[in-house]
Amino acid sequence: MHRLAAVALAAVLLVPPAARALDALRVSAIPDESPTELQRKFEPLGKYLEKNIGLPVKFVPVTDYAATVEGLAAGKLDMVWYGGFTFVQARRRTGNAIPIVQRAEDARFHSKFIVPASSKAQSLKDLKGASFAFGSVSSTSGHLMPRYFLLQAGIDPDKDFAKVAYSGAHDVTAKWVEAGKVDAGALNESIWQRLVDEKKIDTSKVRVLWTTPEYQDYNWTVRGDLDPKLVEKLRAAFLALDPAKPEDKAILDLQRASRFIPTSPEAYKNIEQAARSAGLIKD
Amino acid sequence: MSAAVLHERPPLPLLLRWPGLVLAAVLGVAWRMSEGSLAALLAPEARAAAADFARGFWPPAHSPEFLRFLVRPLVETVAIALAGMTLALVLAAPLAWLATAPGVARAEGDAPGPLRRGAWLAARTVLNLMRSVPELVWALVFVRALGLGPAAGVAAIGIGYAGVVGKVFAEIWESSPCAPARALAAAGAPPRRAFALAVLPGSAPLLASYALYRLDCALRASAVLGLVGAGGMGVQLEFSLKMFAYDEVATLVLALFAVVAAVDLLSAWARRRLAESRGLFPAGPGALRWRAAILGTWLALAAGAAAYLELPLGELFSGATLRSAAGFFGSMFPPDLSPGFLRALVPAAAETLAVSILGSAIASVLGLGLALAAVHPGTRGLAGAPGDSRLRSGARLALAAGARGAMNLLRTLPELLWALLVIFAVGLGPFAGALALGIHNAGVLGRLYAEALEEVPPGPVAALRGAGARPLAATLLAALPQAWPQLVAYTLYRWEVAVRASAVLGVVGAGGIGALLHVSLNLFQHHRTATLVAAIVVLVTAVDLFSGWLRARILAGPASRAAPRAACAPGLANAT
Repeated sequence: MHRLAAVALAAVLLVPPAARALDALRVSAIPDESPTELQRKFEPLGKYLEKNIGLPVKFVPVTDYAATVEGLAAGKLDMVWYGGFTFVQARRRTGNAIPIVQRAEDARFHSKFIVPASSKAQSLKDLKGASFAFGSVSSTSGHLMPRYFLLQAGIDPDKDFAKVAYSGAHDVTAKWVEAGKVDAGALNESIWQRLVDEKKIDTSKVRVLWTTPEYQDYNWTVRGDLDPKLVEKLRAAFLALDPAKPEDKAILDLQRASRFIPTSPEAYKNIEQAARSAGLIKD
Repeated sequence: MSAAVLHERPPLPLLLRWPGLVLAAVLGVAWRMSEGSLAALLAPEARAAAADFARGFWPPAHSPEFLRFLVRPLVETVAIALAGMTLALVLAAPLAWLATAPGVARAEGDAPGPLRRGAWLAARTVLNLMRSVPELVWALVFVRALGLGPAAGVAAIGIGYAGVVGKVFAEIWESSPCAPARALAAAGAPPRRAFALAVLPGSAPLLASYALYRLDCALRASAVLGLVGAGGMGVQLEFSLKMFAYDEVATLVLALFAVVAAVDLLSAWARRRLAESRGLFPAGPGALRWRAAILGTWLALAAGAAAYLELPLGELFSGATLRSAAGFFGSMFPPDLSPGFLRALVPAAAETLAVSILGSAIASVLGLGLALAAVHPGTRGLAGAPGDSRLRSGARLALAAGARGAMNLLRTLPELLWALLVIFAVGLGPFAGALALGIHNAGVLGRLYAEALEEVPPGPVAALRGAGARPLAATLLAALPQAWPQLVAYTLYRWEVAVRASAVLGVVGAGGIGALLHVSLNLFQHHRTATLVAAIVVLVTAVDLFSGWLRARILAGPASRAAPRAACAPGLANAT
């Protein structure tokens, strides 16, 4: 009886998962903005992709960065919108995840350090002893790169800040600084721009202290074992989005992209290097 | 006679003898370590945040899109709780049977050999491990091991609650009368049959009643699992809170409140029906029909929940999932025991402990105030004197109703969500965590305190009232001293729950060991995760043991009437 159970368990563990014919493309995104915002952003893009690849596209809302990495690794997600650092994590976790496209803006991305308008700080150095908000632990523009540049400026966040908090998302970081809940914070420049443009943040209460040098950020990544033909179709669909066409422009605007460009794993070597020197990945 | 009782055991001077002094010192240290600060509490920012919240709360968000959007997370929350609780029962029943003390088996005519004793020890250990890890940590782990979504939430509640349900079931069986089993065994029944026919039927209503009660707790737990990606409404609540969208928070909280209240009422009704049919054997076909109906409804609802959540049961037990779970747990070993990491771990663990102590203290003070206001006016002479004006007794009734409403509201929102709110008033850090624990548990303790106060023997209260004491004075001088050991025991139980919550508060920025756990999970530092989970288990177990020892000492005294309740009390006190 026991032996039977053991044999059954071994059989279950050894048989490889059956290659599954895709009945829908399951897409997700790191939750760097509120779930309602992510869903709203994705809808027109999802419809466009559906038309171009001839498969239903299903958006799977995920509320945890690391869970999107595990989701791709476990084959529960087919395509994910990753930040640079989560892509590096996904690539290390799976070994074969493929970044297919990024926004033109992502090749030259920046983070903003923001402080309340009344703050006396004039440079990063003045932030010693402050309470500081990063975005999510796994965020590139909200944690990794700001941490990296802080270290470069001689500030060790774990030692030199009175308190380090992870707000979880970029728009939350901005709200926290605006409300004076922390002395300073760092966030993604494109979300900062949207908050300012849409007047979601009161610029008489918050000012930008410093903008980081440029680095590579977000991309669309697919599972390494996805059908190569499908991958090509997806890449082509993204690259075909033309800002001159009004209906394409609407999709691109929601993604805050001027257009999409091809990308490759090599583009993210520097991010991996930064993560290593900031102590966020260890080998 | 009442005077004699009071003289035998004067309760308040106890605070001035050494236990009181130790308690004061411990609270002082906890206050310091939690970075407690009256200034932060009274600062203009705190008042502004509270005012913002009060203003933003009304009117609740009621746009059609938001309400439509709300339906799915809400139903999902209920479904996760139901499916999770069902899984917990399935896991707990066999473990509880194995974990029941060998004495019960002896009564059934079994002579437990070393194998059975080994199984007993193993089952106890497994149950304790399941219980010691907070649900949210189980959820964090299962989101990694099983993938996203409600399946992880169901597994987290299933495993986390199986621990406590199994323990309580075992205790119920241990405290069942052994005579029937002994009689059956003497008449030649094999042990398992003696158990099935003599122990199980008598205890069934208690088991069912506890399971129903626990469903309430599962519902509240399920409402926060979304914070870590395990489905349900938690994630929307978190975002609405963090974005200061208090009108949305209001709608979400009211919705959760309504659902919890509905489940509360249903389960209270079902528990009453079960209690009526209680006895060694169901009184008759009518009672049997009730039991079958309640069981059938539960099973149908659980099946519905599983279908709604699209629980991939086949996939859940598939090779791929087992491999990925095994891979995840494998990657946790060996735990990270590097000196640098341990140096960061010790202060974090101490902070978690301090937050739990300060939080429980705040909860007991607030809870006592609420309980005194809420003691049912009609109860045992605590009510207004016959000479009271109608206005006065009306005000007293309104006050009691208000206090009960407040306690229910405080209870409905779990600690983690309170923490998100409090953070905006007093800033990030452990003090926010302690306040959040205090606020949530004040609701739980207030209810338990009020029940204990209402159940004291009425003699002394009536005597004081007869002598012309006002109701509050009579409660304070006659009811409170009698209920005192019970209140202290409830507070200690609640501390055991608080330390579990305090271990995860860091996930939302309220300090302690949870903050380290959150970082290690997000950075895939699984060796550290293993160390942190082990540290939480050690901390929680130490608190359980210490508090159990204290409780035994306190209840061992004159309050012998509290003893029979001790077995089922952990359940009561473990309400989240």
